[in-house]
Amino acid sequence: MSHRYVEHVGEVELALEAPSQAGVFSEATAAFRELVDGTARTRPEPLTREVSLGPAGPARLLADWLDELVFLAEVDAFVPERVVAIELDGRRLRATLEGVRGMPRHLVKAATLHGLELSRDGEVWRARVVLDV
Amino acid sequence: MRVSSSMSEPVRVAEAVWEIPAGARPDMRVPARIFADEELLTAILSDRSLEQLCNVATLPGIVEAALAMPDVHQGYGFPVGAVAATETPDGVISPGGVGYDINCGVRLLALPLRADELGGRREQLVHAISRTVPAGAGRRGGLRPRAAAFERVLTRGPRVLVEELGIGTAEDVERTESEGCLPGADAAALSARALERGSGQLGTIGSGNHFVELQRVDSVLDPAAAAAYGLAEGQATVLLHSGSRGLGHQVCTDHVRTMEKAERRYGIELPDRQLACAPLSSPEGQAYLAAMAAAANFAFANRHVMTHLIREAIRRILGDAAADGTRQVYDVAHNIAKLERHDGRELCVQRKGATRAFSAGSDELPAPYRTVGQPVFIPGSMGTASFVLAGEPGAMEHSFGTVCHGAGRRLSRTAAKKQVTGVQLRRELAAQGVVVRCPTNSGLAEEAPFAYKDVERVVAVVERAGLARRVARLRPIGVVKG
Repeated sequence: MSHRYVEHVGEVELALEAPSQAGVFSEATAAFRELVDGTARTRPEPLTREVSLGPAGPARLLADWLDELVFLAEVDAFVPERVVAIELDGRRLRATLEGVRGMPRHLVKAATLHGLELSRDGEVWRARVVLDV
Repeated sequence: MRVSSSMSEPVRVAEAVWEIPAGARPDMRVPARIFADEELLTAILSDRSLEQLCNVATLPGIVEAALAMPDVHQGYGFPVGAVAATETPDGVISPGGVGYDINCGVRLLALPLRADELGGRREQLVHAISRTVPAGAGRRGGLRPRAAAFERVLTRGPRVLVEELGIGTAEDVERTESEGCLPGADAAALSARALERGSGQLGTIGSGNHFVELQRVDSVLDPAAAAAYGLAEGQATVLLHSGSRGLGHQVCTDHVRTMEKAERRYGIELPDRQLACAPLSSPEGQAYLAAMAAAANFAFANRHVMTHLIREAIRRILGDAAADGTRQVYDVAHNIAKLERHDGRELCVQRKGATRAFSAGSDELPAPYRTVGQPVFIPGSMGTASFVLAGEPGAMEHSFGTVCHGAGRRLSRTAAKKQVTGVQLRRELAAQGVVVRCPTNSGLAEEAPFAYKDVERVVAVVERAGLARRVARLRPIGVVKG
């Protein structure tokens, strides 16, 4: 599993790889956490959030997932730490996220549809998504 | 990826104007036109801006040309620094043509004193502004009007804050683009999520490239216009840059989704999903215009409350006379769609990272500016100059009354952070006499001056193309980063 930042002069472009579709969502969460960089509290309050998305295609679900993380960071100061359960059922997603109430940097505005991809290539699932920052 | 990679090289059609003909791709309806000199064009060709501009040229109903300003750089859907005008009633509106930060814009305040009179109080003032105007993250610290008043702000803009809450002045509102109110705004067109994200964000800087900058008027280049704008050499000014925060971001997210679903119904085929659009006259187009106008009014109100907070910081450090004498020069949007008349036609002008720049004589301008043209503010970076421009008739003839919005990025945030750390940059800026307050070192490094193009060159192209003229150059002496 990996994520990296592709050179993009104006925004942040993420390239994600994982052995499963669910793994791509976990990697997207890890990348988002790095970007918002906001656990600076002495005793952060643990939080759990349930997420339910769809119906949408796989790539669109990924963009919606990142938009959900943006929303939670902004209204709940929620900094995701890990995806503890994720169920991808065709065009729908249900997941449980664990994290903390922190001080997330309000950097990401939204996940865009520009060049959005999520597909399987043999044993590997690959995704690309551009975030507006 | 559905973005086409085929594109022909731009050819020069005027001194500072280049064009990719409409025939370069079968799906282009109009040419793609770029305002640039050779050096800026080379920089522009190094990313995918022009491919994205050619994609914009495919939008149904687009007229004349898809335009790129000299600060253009790669974005998503539209490049940043682009203009598209579509005909009413059946040309399209694209939320991506405005962007997520609806009515992101800049506002200039002029203090009633010289920068050198600040002396040792300069650092105190920057610190006071950083403590008074919330920056950084989420919904902390902003104004939270009651629900009914909040709804009126969305519908009527900052005038409501003056009339009902005594925040700011009527003159501030008059010296704001469109007097801070886009018609047709409807709070009911906003989703619950948009309202939730906007709650508590009035009067906040946000993050990324948003800032409040304390400056000195370094030189006056057009004395008559500078006098009309109330600017003199050596004067202290404050330039602020923010937008519609989470409320606007959510409006764009919501309506890109809606429009993507509706495209097939209108027979629209696009080379990039982020260009999702609908006819202006369609229910989807009308719903977006109503929501976008509410988000734009929210952004005007956001900068209005920020202005009030900055005056309060000035009051604490410099006293009542300085605070009460701080005037708003103007406020301009650079991510917006507006219905405007050009060459006798009503068009929807979609500006993404581009600023309206109407010339002298326009009824849209406040009376004191009608003889000199609309003020336009072009931020450089926190280590370089910013410019005050005045709209010229060439903008009305060649760019739907539009100019650039900044210097334009030339390096990604990742590349900038590889070249400098926030700690180093803070030290370098201090050595140049710029006091910096920024919540994170990483955020500071991302906005390093070398990550941007040369603003002097960008502004020179705008002037050579006859779109606007330089009025004053401003130098930073203190920066509060979002």
